[in-house]
Amino acid sequence: MMEEGRNAEEARYRALLELDVSAAGARETLVAGLHDESWRVRRAAADGLTRVPERDKVVERLISVLGERDETGARNAAAESLAGMGAEAVGPLVRLLGHVDPDQRKFAADILGQLGQPQAEDALVQAMMQDTDLNVRVAAAEALGQVGGKVAARALERILYDPEPLLQLSALESLAALRHPPPLPEVVRLLGNPTLKRSAYRVLGLIPQVAATELVCRGLGAESRSTREAALVALGTQASLAEPSLRPEMEAAVRLALKRLPEAVGWVASALESDDIELKAGALVAAAALREPQLAPLVAEVAQEERLMPEVMRTLAYFGPETGRELLASMDRLSFPAREVAGHVLVELVDATFVPELVQMLDWGEVDLKAVAVQALGRTSSLEAVEPLAQLLSHPELAGPAVRALVTLAAHFPKQVVQALESALEHGAEPVVLSALVRVGGTAMLPLVRRTAREASVPLRATAVEVLAAVDPVGGLELARQSLTDESPRVRTAAVRVLGQVGDKTMAGLLKQALADEALEVRLAALDAVGECGALERVADLEALVPHPDGAIAYRAVQALARLGALRDEVLRKAVGHGDHEVVKAALMAGAASSEGVSLAVGLLGHASWDVRAAAARVLGDSGGPECLPATRAALAAEMDSLARRALVDAVERLSGR
Amino acid sequence: MPFDTGRPEMTAEEFRLLRDFVYGHCGILVRDDMKYVMQRRLWPRLEALGLTDFSAYYRYLRFDAQRRAELETAIEALTTHETYFFREPRQLKAFSEEVLPQLERRNARTKRLRIWSAGCSSGEEAYTVAMLLKDSGRFEGWDVEVHGTDISRRVLAAARQGEYGPSALRATPPDKVARYFVHVGPNRVRVRDDIRAWVSFGHHNLQDPDAALHITRPDVVFCRNVMIYFDTPARQRVLRLIYDKLVPGGYLLLGHSENLINLSADFELVHLRSDLVYRKPELGGGGSP
Repeated sequence: MMEEGRNAEEARYRALLELDVSAAGARETLVAGLHDESWRVRRAAADGLTRVPERDKVVERLISVLGERDETGARNAAAESLAGMGAEAVGPLVRLLGHVDPDQRKFAADILGQLGQPQAEDALVQAMMQDTDLNVRVAAAEALGQVGGKVAARALERILYDPEPLLQLSALESLAALRHPPPLPEVVRLLGNPTLKRSAYRVLGLIPQVAATELVCRGLGAESRSTREAALVALGTQASLAEPSLRPEMEAAVRLALKRLPEAVGWVASALESDDIELKAGALVAAAALREPQLAPLVAEVAQEERLMPEVMRTLAYFGPETGRELLASMDRLSFPAREVAGHVLVELVDATFVPELVQMLDWGEVDLKAVAVQALGRTSSLEAVEPLAQLLSHPELAGPAVRALVTLAAHFPKQVVQALESALEHGAEPVVLSALVRVGGTAMLPLVRRTAREASVPLRATAVEVLAAVDPVGGLELARQSLTDESPRVRTAAVRVLGQVGDKTMAGLLKQALADEALEVRLAALDAVGECGALERVADLEALVPHPDGAIAYRAVQALARLGALRDEVLRKAVGHGDHEVVKAALMAGAASSEGVSLAVGLLGHASWDVRAAAARVLGDSGGPECLPATRAALAAEMDSLARRALVDAVERLSGR
Repeated sequence: MPFDTGRPEMTAEEFRLLRDFVYGHCGILVRDDMKYVMQRRLWPRLEALGLTDFSAYYRYLRFDAQRRAELETAIEALTTHETYFFREPRQLKAFSEEVLPQLERRNARTKRLRIWSAGCSSGEEAYTVAMLLKDSGRFEGWDVEVHGTDISRRVLAAARQGEYGPSALRATPPDKVARYFVHVGPNRVRVRDDIRAWVSFGHHNLQDPDAALHITRPDVVFCRNVMIYFDTPARQRVLRLIYDKLVPGGYLLLGHSENLINLSADFELVHLRSDLVYRKPELGGGGSP
């Protein structure tokens, strides 16, 4: 029986999903669906009604459903549908605010809040101030917290003097939602009201002033847990809003307050473990003031709320060196995000005494933990760290970090590091080892590099070509010429890079072959190399590649032409018409100094991509003349994107000064 | 920020370009307040590639010959692989005590059970499910497969290896450790072979419907703490994909802080004794092999 019922429900649900909303009668079919016993069917009906044509009629019909007193499910579904109607529902709902039935007026206020349309501001203010029904006034106050606006904020502040506590509470919460705190003395008055205290702390948090922090600190000393927690939340908000210059003074006030509260470590620990992200944020500020190493793992765990990661890092930075040991000891129990931040901090705090524990971590840790241990070992300035790091030089994932750590240690123990790297290379280490060896050992390593260039291993051969050129440009160039015939594209790519880095314009012939190589990676490297070594003979080849549909090729061709100083206006015009916005931006930057470039930038203020428009604005700000000002102003007036606007504002300012 | 000196700051434009690029590839949305996190997680990539700023990194992702591999590495760095065995015990209890008996009855004729752990990370969830199946004693002799998929190839390699440290076992009861793991070193355990035999892994981008063709229609989908990475349209695409793949009457289990409100009404909400789960209706449409 139950199964049959579910099947029937599914049939009704499917029927509404498949309904042609433009068909005659669709509106009433969906309205009937709003009255279905199943929430899924009601949801499908509510969604469907937002797509029915003649929306004005739909809105009126939905409003009529709101008046069906005994149909709770249908009314809620109608309200949900109206909330999805956007601006078209505002007028009829504002009219509904004048209905004789307060229940309907409350519905209207609630839905207007969900719509969040500024046109509803005045009507909601009026309802909040003048309606005869308290529930409607409260609903209007709450809605204003979602709609916002200056008139709304002023009216909400006035309501704080209303004798109705519920209304005061809603107004306070709405002011908090609008991030519009009332003046500090007003908040002080409300802090004394037990009903409003929690909300008063919320708005207090929005006032990033030391005087406000001192008030918050009083709350931290309260006996009631809810007051303490409200104060902690306020503290977190203040910290997030305060200018960096104000933070030390605020933190000093918190430290002073917490010093007088011996039980603070306990409740700060509880707050760090709570599920409330705002409470956690406040607890971090308190933990930074307390600086108790045993709080460090709990602080690290707050990084599970990724958006609090900066505050977690800042907090742990306040803790002393003992924190490093505390974090290391708890590393195996921490969650992944906590391990991530603990690792960052640990690396900054280690010294030679940490080596044994870090080496142990290399045995049991997952790869992320091993990487932390490797990085930290490099910072210990300890000879004992060299050997364990050397053992990782053939590890596919950890060889790179291990090499970097060894290079850091080489500042103290160059001989031992060179020995370790040489030995690793003989036993099949990763190619990065060769680069490090030359970096640490210098030209004494050249014979080894030349030997390696004849190795069977492709990665080693490729690395040898680049490494040799870095220390012996003449020898490197010779090896690179030979390596252009290597059977491996990876080696040929390395050789082409060397031609670009240490060669000159005489490389043009070799690069012509490379530009026609069968492997894309070689051709891409050749495009870079042409620009780098000044091979002007290849300009025609580059120009032919500017319209190439692959952005990787076109981008490099534009870049190379720009480096060669050979980007002709005609080619520039082709480049700014490319479909890939990075190519367009590269062309813009390349042509920035020319009059053609400036003229093209004006045209690109209307480009479809925000980043191209922003780049064009920057070009005009840098190189445009006063004649570009009207077009830039017009673009600013029409611009909707925040980042492009920022660039345009800057451009207008700079152009206005010329 | 302390500890961050000498490293390149990510500009607002660089953040937007990188964020949109990642979103376009896999639907993972890095929220505006996550710029710092993105910056921190990508710093090691800049260092490894010898790049000086995030614009150069963006162009590397777009235009370098190694761009595909690097994009995977970037996504790996940006997603948190936080998971452990026997996570969210209430839900697992509901699964064991109420969902599994139903599945045993439903599939008694075919003696075949398929479970998909979508976004399985390093495999803890997939192995946990296999352990619960084994614990139930209901499926011996059945054709059982728990298939874990993830977008990160690196975590899949770890999943296949099946070796874990103490962090992964932090919620595992000692009797389960004794029963389903073997010690392979100090602080290291490996999942026992009979559990591993029921579990397979594969690479899958949840935003790519074509990539799901290789996934056999599951009786249950675990998709826990995965949709947190997506915005609403991307979540709806994933749900549509899961809906299409699930057998009619099949279950969808989300993370404890996740629900389908404002995302989909295609699934029924089922009130079990220990938890709420979602189910594809018996007459539900869709379906691909």
